[in-house]
Amino acid sequence: MEPLRDDQLIADLQALRPTPHPEFAAELDKRAAAGFPRRSRLLRRGAPALFTAMRNKGPADLRRLLIPACAFAVVAIAITAVVVATNQTETRPSGASALGFLNGATTEEAAPEASEEAPQGAAAAQSAPSAGAEEASGTAFEAEAPVPGLPSKVAPKDAPLAPLRHRAVERSAEITLAATPEDVADDATKVFEAVHANNGIVMRSSTQEGRAGEAGAAFELLIPSAKLGDAMAAFSDIDHVRSRHEATADITAPTVSAAELLQESRARIDSLLAQLEGAETEEEREAIEAELRHERRHASRLAAQLTHLHRRADFSRVSLRIETGGADESSGGGAWGIDNALHDAGHVLTVAAAVTLVALAVLGPIALIALLAWLTHRAWLRRERRRALG
Amino acid sequence: MEQTLVADAKDAPREADLAFDRLYRSSRDDVYAYVAGLLRDEAAAEEVTAAAFERAYRKRNRFDPRRGEPRAWLFGIARNAALDELRRRGRQAELTTEPADLDSFGAHEGAEHSERRLAVSAALERLQPGERELIALKFFAGLNNAEIAQVLGTSESNAGTKLHRAMTKLREACDGTA
Repeated sequence: MEPLRDDQLIADLQALRPTPHPEFAAELDKRAAAGFPRRSRLLRRGAPALFTAMRNKGPADLRRLLIPACAFAVVAIAITAVVVATNQTETRPSGASALGFLNGATTEEAAPEASEEAPQGAAAAQSAPSAGAEEASGTAFEAEAPVPGLPSKVAPKDAPLAPLRHRAVERSAEITLAATPEDVADDATKVFEAVHANNGIVMRSSTQEGRAGEAGAAFELLIPSAKLGDAMAAFSDIDHVRSRHEATADITAPTVSAAELLQESRARIDSLLAQLEGAETEEEREAIEAELRHERRHASRLAAQLTHLHRRADFSRVSLRIETGGADESSGGGAWGIDNALHDAGHVLTVAAAVTLVALAVLGPIALIALLAWLTHRAWLRRERRRALG
Repeated sequence: MEQTLVADAKDAPREADLAFDRLYRSSRDDVYAYVAGLLRDEAAAEEVTAAAFERAYRKRNRFDPRRGEPRAWLFGIARNAALDELRRRGRQAELTTEPADLDSFGAHEGAEHSERRLAVSAALERLQPGERELIALKFFAGLNNAEIAQVLGTSESNAGTKLHRAMTKLREACDGTA
């Protein structure tokens, strides 16, 4: 056979051109007319009806479903975050930042647990004021001894100290009520009633009569931490609440530290007692006894310190004031006006910005990872396709 | 009256749909020919052709005329589908069709004619899939060099050079067969 000419080769190639079967062509035409309904493997295996319906609707329709679904999810997350943020900031000191709710959860949650064993009886009420006074003087740890009658959490001398089951949280609160001068006395009486109803202690109180702006009352209270919520609710019901805030402080670390030191000190005392029994000379006995006295004083101080820490967790300090001045004289109370509106708007914007920031911090890395994964997949697919061609 | 007009406008096929319909009608057989030429498997070619049109239909709104011709875009999609099929099967254009016989190449046109086409067909089998793809794009699908370049993602001159090499190799293979 003579060598192929170009025109012959091209004619032969065109003659070899594969053509589709008429049945296949007809079937494809039919599918084209129907808008190419998807024929995925899942569908061939009999996927659920809803999924099938969604697949048949096509990507454009699917997007129409997905976009509102995603928008709904984002709005739901945002609302949840705002609600959580609002709840958390309400219970924080006024100086807390809008992002403060991010690191305050532990103490907020632990507070009720830590105060489960708060003393309820009158004995506790009688002994507690000394604690408050000492705390005020700043020398509570050194000066205070265990108070008789107070159910102390310090373990008996010979018993091993159990590890702290809950976090120890100290709570405090401030509340300011607005009243008319005529109501001050009645309100003060109701404060006393509410304190006693919650097994609390009035550490200090003062009532001033007079005209609006001069009349008022101030109370320094100790309320069992377990009943702080009830007590605050009762105070709020007495009169119009002008301002209110609560604060928490985690004192788990010093409590644990004091308990451990006390345990070591007791072990040391036991050891010294054993040495004392075995002492043979008078000098040796005297030396051990001196050391024993010193160690017992040290253990006593530690026990007092631990008791005080427990009491700080058990009782919450509440500062309550009844004011009779005009609404505009106090920063946070009175009728809701333009300043309050601006303040609230600023607060809402701050919280919204914080939520956006958190959302970006979460979604940003996820989006970046998804982008990298997509790019990697594309590069891999391109390489595999090249390899498929040899 | 207004309601009817609105309904008519809503039900009327959009421009993208009409354009795709035109593209489908003008390219159906070409796409099949290209895919079948590359895969050398009739059943797989039908499956891949259908899948390619399906993908193209779903992406029809994303086609950007500034980036090339619609036919080149469609063949790019068909090419990816065909290569995915090759990849999935873990083989390269394996021949699964029955060996061609002389009758299928037009015995009525003469024995020499039929023998020559059989030789060309056998030579095609011996080409690399990449080379066979170029020939399929040019002579089975009827694309010009510019369109081939766009499908392969290369320059027009490079596509022309590769096509020339593939043709030379095919001719040599035909001569060898003869």
